[in-house]
Amino acid sequence: MIWGLVLGPLLAGAALYLLPRRAEGPATWIAAAVAFASFLSALGLRDAPDQSVRWFQRPFTANFHVGLGSGISFWLVLLVTLVTGCALLVTRVPRQRDFVAQMLFLLAAMTGVFVARDVLLFALFFDLMLIPVFLVLVMWGPPTSSAWRYLIYNLSGGLGLLLATAAYGVINGSTDVIGTSVGAGATAIGNIYGPWIFAGFALAFLIKTPVWPLHTWMPDTYADLPPPVVAAVSAVQSKAGLYGFIVIGLALFPTYMHAAAPVMFVLGLISLLYGGLVALTQDDLKRIVAYSSLSHLGLIILAIFSFNSVALAGAVVYIIAHGLFSAALFLILGWIESREETRSLARLGGLGARNPRLAGALVIAALAALGLPGLCGFAGELLILTGVYKAGYVWPAAIALIPIVLAAAYMLRLYQGTMNGPEVPDLPQRPDLTWLEGLALTPLVIAIVWLGVDAGPLARIEPQLTHVVGLDAGCLPRNSAAAAVGVRVTAAPGLSADQTADVLSACYAIAGTGELATFDSVRADYLRDSTLLVPMKEHHADTSIQH
Amino acid sequence: MPILQYSTSDWNATVPLFVLAVTGLAVLVFDLLVPRAVRRAVATAVGLVGCIPALVLLAGQWGHPVSAFGGAFITGGFTLVFEGVIVVATIFTLCLVNALGREDQAAGGVALLLWGASGAMLMAGAANLMTIFLGLEILSLALYCLCGFASRSGAREAALKYLILSSTASGFMLYGMALLFGATGSVALAALVLPPASQVLFAIGIGLFLIGLAFKLSLVPFHVWTPDVYEGAPLSVTAFMSVVTKAGALAVLARFIYAAVPAAHAAALLAPLWILAALSMIAGNVAALAQTDMKRLLAYSGIAQIGYVVAALAGATPLGLRYAMFYIVAYMFMNLGAFAVVALLSAHHDEGSRLRSFVGLGTRRPVLAAAMTFFLLGLAGLPPTAGFTGKILILASSVNAGYAWLAGVLVVGTAISIYAYIKIVYAMYARPAGSVATLQRVPAPLPWVGVALCAVAVLVMGLYPVFPSDVLPLVK
Repeated sequence: MIWGLVLGPLLAGAALYLLPRRAEGPATWIAAAVAFASFLSALGLRDAPDQSVRWFQRPFTANFHVGLGSGISFWLVLLVTLVTGCALLVTRVPRQRDFVAQMLFLLAAMTGVFVARDVLLFALFFDLMLIPVFLVLVMWGPPTSSAWRYLIYNLSGGLGLLLATAAYGVINGSTDVIGTSVGAGATAIGNIYGPWIFAGFALAFLIKTPVWPLHTWMPDTYADLPPPVVAAVSAVQSKAGLYGFIVIGLALFPTYMHAAAPVMFVLGLISLLYGGLVALTQDDLKRIVAYSSLSHLGLIILAIFSFNSVALAGAVVYIIAHGLFSAALFLILGWIESREETRSLARLGGLGARNPRLAGALVIAALAALGLPGLCGFAGELLILTGVYKAGYVWPAAIALIPIVLAAAYMLRLYQGTMNGPEVPDLPQRPDLTWLEGLALTPLVIAIVWLGVDAGPLARIEPQLTHVVGLDAGCLPRNSAAAAVGVRVTAAPGLSADQTADVLSACYAIAGTGELATFDSVRADYLRDSTLLVPMKEHHADTSIQH
Repeated sequence: MPILQYSTSDWNATVPLFVLAVTGLAVLVFDLLVPRAVRRAVATAVGLVGCIPALVLLAGQWGHPVSAFGGAFITGGFTLVFEGVIVVATIFTLCLVNALGREDQAAGGVALLLWGASGAMLMAGAANLMTIFLGLEILSLALYCLCGFASRSGAREAALKYLILSSTASGFMLYGMALLFGATGSVALAALVLPPASQVLFAIGIGLFLIGLAFKLSLVPFHVWTPDVYEGAPLSVTAFMSVVTKAGALAVLARFIYAAVPAAHAAALLAPLWILAALSMIAGNVAALAQTDMKRLLAYSGIAQIGYVVAALAGATPLGLRYAMFYIVAYMFMNLGAFAVVALLSAHHDEGSRLRSFVGLGTRRPVLAAAMTFFLLGLAGLPPTAGFTGKILILASSVNAGYAWLAGVLVVGTAISIYAYIKIVYAMYARPAGSVATLQRVPAPLPWVGVALCAVAVLVMGLYPVFPSDVLPLVK
């Protein structure tokens, strides 16, 4: 059944080519229906049993093994199907039948990345998802070199990933290890190849995310891609690298992840600051959001490499949150561009007066991006900053606050530059948001608000991550002095009691401290007493929110 | 010892290649009997009909290893895979034969193709130096003629160039064989394992032998003839050379590595070979970047691809041989698929191999463009193709054999090759800058069959790689 999530869009995309070239409307509706059907199927397949078919057995075992679970894979599959579906509803391009078919291929490949439970299968989809984007850039983008830059950058990373996968497979004997951890089916690669193998994975993930200084393909690509595809690429495809760091990096290479942390922290912080500062100076609307992505994703890198379960929970929340608001932003910017025939902030202005609904949509997306409490961006940022601080990285946490201020500046600049101010006389006057555009945006806005109010379900990290964080004590010890007897915990600032309970219970379960504690029992304890005594083992001291 | 007494089983082992040779004769006989207008069609049909029993006979030999003619020709798993590749490639070449020479030359072309294939099959099974040379020369003589088949002046240049350079390489090889015979006192490959009478003669002999072989495989730096000859030869001959010559020479190389080189000296004696493979992977792909003609592009691509296959043999592990065989089969389908697409683009007086005949193909002929994209993705090693699976297996076996540096070179070479291959995809799908000249196409159903079969094979091999398990014992 889980294979259906990949094969469904793939076959549907191929079948679209059987329609006549003129059947643009039906093709689009069919494609959107397929994407939303995938969304609903993914909801129904939560915790469905894995499916596995043997691929080959020598020189190492590789399986067509897919699983969904209820954790980060599940949420990312929901995100990709939702974003693709919404984007398809409002796709308006020449040769639309071919375009929506490529969108479905992209959906299939991205879903494949997140459901793959075999590293080689993951690598296959990781490379495969480049091809539809490349073809879209070639066929529908402007005649620039961005397609080449996109492909060569990402494929170089993909080939590094491939070599690392092969080497890992040879040493471990099997690549069917996603969702397990060292000791449980995976080998800690300790020989001389270890650092190289990890470097291969890390390079691919850093390029894909992207992180400074490997980001130079991104602004051009985002600027040149048509809005529906850039929404999908920015929202989901760029998360493949972060996802890889979490499910492959943390699980299989904890030691090397730990060793690489200082470098990653520096790269993440530079991305944060550099992206935020450059976003402030851009004139092109899409480039502003592109550089803001660089900044936001740098924050997630910090979260992952702080080896703190709160930060990790925040990373998962923020991965989804960033997907939601960046997809919404790119769709809205696409509508502005198609209406006004420009993306230049200098040309635009005063649209809000005649387009109140468009302005309203943009303000919600922009506020989510700048981290307004109550919207999804805030929940993730708060958890990440709390976690990074708790892990002992005080200065990085402090520096990471600066781009949040910058985000407010560039997002408000973007909004004011397009919507506020006097009307520009020579801009074309076009109708406000249509009902279809509103319909496409509704699920995204609902999700943005819902996640802002209640991030709990996401912060409950799956057993897979429980392994991940608990697996290597070496990753965790910080603040060990505070851990003698336990930590008394009350509500964290900015979170409701309910949310705090969710987060805490997740952390508690992640840290694997209590033999008897399950997620639900911890949650019930906390809600009953409004406080929780966490009997900490020494190296788990960081997993609390103390207040 | 009665030297010239051979039993039926000896002859049975070589029946498939005799079937091809006799079919070649039959093609010439039929050519005399039928009217001029249908000569090409009849020659193609007779050739195809002859290939089928050859394939069936090969299948029948599976699992029945025979060492025929006193160990001069060995059949069984290893040989059969290569012989199968050769026959299948010949069948595909015959599908493209509409691009071969004038109407009245077609029969001669088909006959020469079949004889060349029989020579390559002899190489695949050859287990002594004389048989190797016999097969090689049968193949080469056929190719000298075939290269000159097109009526262009470039064709004659190609033929002459190939004749001179290939003869020189054959000379090197023959001299190497003579020295090996001098050093060991035997022409049997198996005898090379024994301690030689003269270590110096032995080493020089192996070096010269490998040079000749590297020329036939067009490994860098013995590759310079390849692009010119590929470009000048008719399209179907180029397709044939790119697979059959390489399969034959690779079979010899593999048998040499696994059966002839004494294990104690393997690392030292064969080290130059891995360096040649590394050079081929890099230089072949770098040179491919600049090509604007599909035949030259595929020539350079073939140089790099054979580098990948030789890299799989590094360390001479049993698994490596299986992956090399897997990759040569995958390469055959990807390469012949690409050639079949080019054949479908060819018009009278224009072979369709220039880059410009691909411009705008994505909108003009979407199915053909999709198929070409698929083959190019395969050659570039991208999923979901046999090229992807083949490459991961080669990477794994190189790492496994302790040649991680070769795997690293392979990845770098592949990264370079992406631009070379995807450039064609770009041309097909990017919006054309000017008007696109649509030429009068030659109607051709047979290349379509080739395209479809190759596409299915590339996909299936990518998702479900199967290897024969019992090939290695049959090398020796």
